[in-house]
Amino acid sequence: MTHLTSDELVDALDGELAAGRRAHLDACEPCLRQLAELTGVLGETRAVDVPEPSPLYWQHLSARVRMAIDAEPAAAGRWSQWLRWPVLAPIAGLALLVMTVTLAVPRPPVAPPDIALSAETETTQDDDRFAIVADLLGDLDWDTAMSAGLTIEPGAAEQALLELTASEQQELTRLLRAELTRAKS
Amino acid sequence: MTHGSAVRNAWAPAVATGWTVTVVQPTPAETAVALNVDGLDDVALVAASVEGRREAFDVIVERHRRTVYQVCYRFVGNHEDASDLSQESFVRAWKGLKSFQGQSLLSTWLYRITVNVCLNRVSAKAAPTDPLESIDHFEDTRTEGAQSTLLREERAATVRRAIAALPRKQRATLILRTYHDLSHQQIADILGSSVGATKANFFHALANLKKLLGSKP
Repeated sequence: MTHLTSDELVDALDGELAAGRRAHLDACEPCLRQLAELTGVLGETRAVDVPEPSPLYWQHLSARVRMAIDAEPAAAGRWSQWLRWPVLAPIAGLALLVMTVTLAVPRPPVAPPDIALSAETETTQDDDRFAIVADLLGDLDWDTAMSAGLTIEPGAAEQALLELTASEQQELTRLLRAELTRAKS
Repeated sequence: MTHGSAVRNAWAPAVATGWTVTVVQPTPAETAVALNVDGLDDVALVAASVEGRREAFDVIVERHRRTVYQVCYRFVGNHEDASDLSQESFVRAWKGLKSFQGQSLLSTWLYRITVNVCLNRVSAKAAPTDPLESIDHFEDTRTEGAQSTLLREERAATVRRAIAALPRKQRATLILRTYHDLSHQQIADILGSSVGATKANFFHALANLKKLLGSKP
């Protein structure tokens, strides 16, 4: 009868050798010797532990993983992070606040209407005011807005929403829905 | 007593004073938000992580970091590389979470990622292994206990170096089978090979170890 194959020796190590081959093993000196050698190496290998790192290391590893994930350029993930209500609500509130401030800024006294003043001139004045506000706010980042006092008080967004007209609320709803639908697609 | 009836009973005094109490069942999403992620099982943690809840992935890392690190350490035999490979394994897991279908255990899936990271990064030649621990504290080497401890540490370092010198697939098979008690079928699934190939790799890993260790008593 042939000696045990490598597969059968592994089965013998696992204690799963077929009965017929077990009979050969019991009677075969070379196979028994080979199995004993493998068993010895396996036992010595099993006895070697991984040195335990410092207890602080595990927290350190978690922190490293967290930072590495934060550094990952996951474009889709970043969009999904922005499209959450806890993020969208303050942004929407800030936008509404800017709109409210813009509308509430007292306008300089308008000179008595000139007979020659046309509707076109009035539109140009509004456009100019909007351009000034847009220029001022265009590069405004969050930190600058915070330091300038443009912070969102609790309930400010809700208050701003309540002050919208029905048609403005409908338009805001439409814009938010369109944005969410676009983000999902 | 059901949760709903318990709530109704708790509000009974208010109802008696004329209040109207409506018990509303929270939606699954609301319930998940309210739950502490520490109590979630692996499948729920994966689902929460896919939804962008980083604290859920933190728990996954916390639960599996020791196993992942140990696989990596067995592969490379030194702490620094094992640490880097562990980090890379978890980052890959994070990026691939959406592809985890739950058809296998999360631990098996993480084994697969970790072994692939190790196989890709580790060259076939032996990586530098950690030096022996400082022997400063073995001052009294005349005592039998200290000497045997030192010899045991030296032998362990020799075995680690021998494992790190094995061909990569043999190394992976030996590590998963010997230290993590995975079945040959599980190892075959992880390595993308057959059970027969896994057994052959295991046999040759042990045979090679015997040669490597036989010349270094």
